Amino acid sequence: MQKVLRKRVFRSLRKHFIRYAMLGAMIALGIFLVVTIVGSAETLTRGTEEMANETNLEDGEFEVFVPLTGAEKQHIADMGITLEEQFYFDQQMEKEKDGTIRLFRVREKINKLHLVEGEIPAENNELAIEKRYAQEHGLHTGDVLDIAGTSCKISGIAVTSDYDGPFKEVSDTSCNSKLFGPAFMTEEAYQDFKTSGKTQKSETYLYTYKLGGGKTDQDLKDYLKDLKIEASEVEDPLFTEYWDRTGGVEDKLRDAVRDLRDATDEVADATEELSDHNGDIQDGTGKIMDAYLKSTENTLKGYGMNVELSEANYERELDRLAKAAGNPVLAASLSQVKEELDDLKDYKDGIKEYTDGVEELGDGVKEMADGVEELDDSVNDALDEFDFSLSNLTSFLKASDNQRIFATKNDKVVDIEVGLIAGAIIFILLAYVISVFVVHSIESESSIIGTLYSMGVTKNDLLLHYISLPVVVTFLSGLIGLLAASTGVLAPMIAESSYQYFSIAEFAFTIPKYLWIYSMVCPPVMAVIVNVLVISSKLNQTALSLIRNDVKQKATKGMKLKGKSFVAAFRIRQMIRELRSTAAVVLGMFLSLMVFMIGVDCYILCSNIAKDYAKDTKFAYMYTLKYPEKEPPAGAHEAYAYTCKKEAMGFNFDVTILGLTQEDPYFDVKPGKSKTEVVISSAMAEKYGLKKGEEFILTDEEKEVKYAFSVKDIAKYASGFYVFMDIDVMRDMMGETSDYYNVLFSDKSIDIDPGRLYSVTSREDVVKGSEVFSSLMMPMIYTLSFSSAIIFCVVLYLMMKVMIDRSAQNISLIKVFGYRRREIRKLYLDGNFYTISVGALIVLPLSKKLMNMMFPFMISNVACGMNVETPFVFYIVAFLVIIALYFVINTLLVRRLDRYSPAEILKNRE
Amino acid sequence: MYVEVTNLKKSYGEGGSYVEVLKGVSVGVEQGEMCVIQGTSGSGKSTLLNCIGGLDDIDSGSCKVDGLEIAGLKKDRLSDYRRDTLGFVFQFYNLVPNLTVRENIEVCRYLTKDPLDMDELLETLGLKEHADKFPSQLSGGQQQRTAIARALIKNPKLLLCDEPTGALDSKTSRDILILLEKINEKYGTTMLIVTHNNSIKNMVHRVIFLKDGEIAKQYTNEKRVPARELEDL
Repeated sequence: MQKVLRKRVFRSLRKHFIRYAMLGAMIALGIFLVVTIVGSAETLTRGTEEMANETNLEDGEFEVFVPLTGAEKQHIADMGITLEEQFYFDQQMEKEKDGTIRLFRVREKINKLHLVEGEIPAENNELAIEKRYAQEHGLHTGDVLDIAGTSCKISGIAVTSDYDGPFKEVSDTSCNSKLFGPAFMTEEAYQDFKTSGKTQKSETYLYTYKLGGGKTDQDLKDYLKDLKIEASEVEDPLFTEYWDRTGGVEDKLRDAVRDLRDATDEVADATEELSDHNGDIQDGTGKIMDAYLKSTENTLKGYGMNVELSEANYERELDRLAKAAGNPVLAASLSQVKEELDDLKDYKDGIKEYTDGVEELGDGVKEMADGVEELDDSVNDALDEFDFSLSNLTSFLKASDNQRIFATKNDKVVDIEVGLIAGAIIFILLAYVISVFVVHSIESESSIIGTLYSMGVTKNDLLLHYISLPVVVTFLSGLIGLLAASTGVLAPMIAESSYQYFSIAEFAFTIPKYLWIYSMVCPPVMAVIVNVLVISSKLNQTALSLIRNDVKQKATKGMKLKGKSFVAAFRIRQMIRELRSTAAVVLGMFLSLMVFMIGVDCYILCSNIAKDYAKDTKFAYMYTLKYPEKEPPAGAHEAYAYTCKKEAMGFNFDVTILGLTQEDPYFDVKPGKSKTEVVISSAMAEKYGLKKGEEFILTDEEKEVKYAFSVKDIAKYASGFYVFMDIDVMRDMMGETSDYYNVLFSDKSIDIDPGRLYSVTSREDVVKGSEVFSSLMMPMIYTLSFSSAIIFCVVLYLMMKVMIDRSAQNISLIKVFGYRRREIRKLYLDGNFYTISVGALIVLPLSKKLMNMMFPFMISNVACGMNVETPFVFYIVAFLVIIALYFVINTLLVRRLDRYSPAEILKNRE
Repeated sequence: MYVEVTNLKKSYGEGGSYVEVLKGVSVGVEQGEMCVIQGTSGSGKSTLLNCIGGLDDIDSGSCKVDGLEIAGLKKDRLSDYRRDTLGFVFQFYNLVPNLTVRENIEVCRYLTKDPLDMDELLETLGLKEHADKFPSQLSGGQQQRTAIARALIKNPKLLLCDEPTGALDSKTSRDILILLEKINEKYGTTMLIVTHNNSIKNMVHRVIFLKDGEIAKQYTNEKRVPARELEDL
């Protein structure tokens, strides 16, 4: 039976060749598209992973103030961790346009060089240069590069996994290989350069490590943090100046309090000593008084006046004697003696008061000494609470937090996500198109199936018969798409932007196994499933019902359309009759628009990022400071930036808490004075789905602290995830001094010692960085948009063709009646205009809305906002394009109307 | 002659599968006549009808209808010819299943500026109460009457009927034939009826017998039997 039926298969293929060819072309194109986009991204991903293994990519890196000692390195080695010194000098090239070369020694253990041409430098006058820098400056092996007056021959062009993304600073927003590139020289050449006196900056002590011995990054970090050094060991004078103002004040404070305590003790001792002589002073004064009284008694006795004088009675006795004397001279002398004794008595009372005062002073000084002792203890206790000791570690960066590492792979995550989602949508679209074909084909074959069924042909035979052609067609189409993709014809175009941005070797385009399965297994499996479902459902009917094609008859019932013009009524009837095909057209349109919308959202996002970054970045320069001066330089606005982390969709992104002065002119933000109610950037709100009044938590991984905030307001700011606070509030919250800052914004370039800086970001850098998104994604956007437009046209064509094919009998019939092509088109094709128009009006915003919901998941690894707001004109243009495509397809299909001859109606019956 | 076919030849296929269906047929039908074309299966009667109806190409010979040469007409002119001159009635009705009776008739009414009155036609054909029904809700006779109404609405000068009673029972066949006779009388429509049914020849003006693509016999009925009196339908 199968042998006979197989003949029908070939005839059926011949008869419906265009249909199968179009279906096959669509499958092949879909597979080609998915395999190319995903395969290209996977090629780069796997290539960089393999290169990371080959070159022994670091697990992380750290910088220190002073090189580790032998004992420290030994300790780390004993932990099972492999270290390699990758010290470097940044050397500004003679011409400013040539940027900075970062001079390393050739690595031996970690982050080894992968040569893309030439050799590893072997001689002291040789160096290997990083690929992207070489490309940007047209450098090749054998060329000579002048570094600090020394001519170096380029022995090779290389890439290294730790500079996959050749960012100069890890915090940079984009790479600029025109202005930065690493270079590698021999150990001897490096040492010569180091001691040549030509270095422009101090050497950076960078170590890279590979974990082992079951140790984690944190174990190493904990160990390194505990390595203390004396500030004096650090050679950088800028650091010393900064340290003296900040961490170095601890000793001064301790010394000052100690001095105070010592001085207080001295005062207490002296006072005590003074107090010890109080009795002697008082005794002496008493004796002087007594002696003067005695002397006065003796003098009076000489005048015949016997009187006994005491301190208590001398006043009274001398007054009495003066009155009784009757001699004015004697009275005056007695009065004078009395005055002298009064003065002496006053002196004695004064001495008493003085000694009492000294006693009190003694008590007071004693209390002060106790207080100063308490102050000393408290200051020391307080200072002990803070770690003022200087850790040798200046930075610690795990590979996973280093944006230079696997920059290509991280970028390609989006391509893979987008490609796979596009693949899934195409898969659904193909399943749907196949199901429409199968349903149409089975319906038109209903009487044949019924006849065969009634003759005893088994269900399995029928299934096998009807499944074979779609399965073969879908399999071959998938294979063709896969083979076309495997030639890598489009892959270089997709990968080109990555090769032009990242520092990676050229990788041969390869297709991962799962894409082979996707391409070769999924389409035929899909065809089998759809066919089995449709045919099984068909074979549930009786043979007679199949022969009569009852299903078709049922579809003829519909609504009454009194009052409608003939043409309108006819079109409505036609639409109702072709409801399934109509739905197929609309669904096909929807699914292909979904693929299209991936490209649209990518484009809109990139375009909005470029536009918003340029608009929102109002400063000309942003300086991130390592060692800020005490006062911000004139013309600059200080700010305080502190980076925390927040997780979104499985990825941990940096969120910067930015403390701004109230008068900051570069941010359109009015942060309040609250520590918890903050303003966040619109990019952050979009990424984390935060709204006003909602709460969120930021994690400070360094201090292992969490900060809880609530959103007071959302500021329009696209270029980064920011939490805006008042700078004073932030200083207080972070325990910094009232004048602390670490970022400067300005509208012009400021002369700051480069040694004080972590990085300088210009507005131009920000804008350029934003444009990188576009340039990296544009090939994929083009591919998706172009392919989806083709898929859309094919789907529309196929579905409309199915609609016409289903009406073949009726078209023949009305031709018999004398209908002309124009009239037939009016009745059978032009009605589709309304289907397409209304369908487009519904599915355009719907597919955009749905894609907007899905899109954040596709670019979940990208640290940017989710502004996919699309101008209304896009919808108008898209609608007009759909309508234009419809008219083109309609025109193509009009020719099909001629294929149905009037005589057809005489051969068949409805 | 209203319909004048001269030495008409028509063949299908090539090489081994070549079949000459009409081998130089010449017939003539006067305006207002009812003519039956009879013959065995494969005799070429439907092919002759299709050639006259402009549904099939003519290899050679001439076919004139109301003086218009059909042979060699381009598609558009053939459409105009069918639109302006012809009405078709098929064995299996060929109604558009998703249109009501009235809408099916309107398919042809749309083609003419001077159609017959729809309600009168529905009344005449006994379809008034079925006007808003779909074909699947009608009996075979009602469907065929709808097909006839559809063909008549544009008041064609020539009605081509291909086995109009072939799918109907005897009583319904008679009703249809009575109807055709009535139309012929009322509107003076020339009719060419292809049929297997041997009785029908008695009710028409002219009878043509085809055998193996040639005219075996043709004659004019001197005494026609009214349709309602036909036997063995």
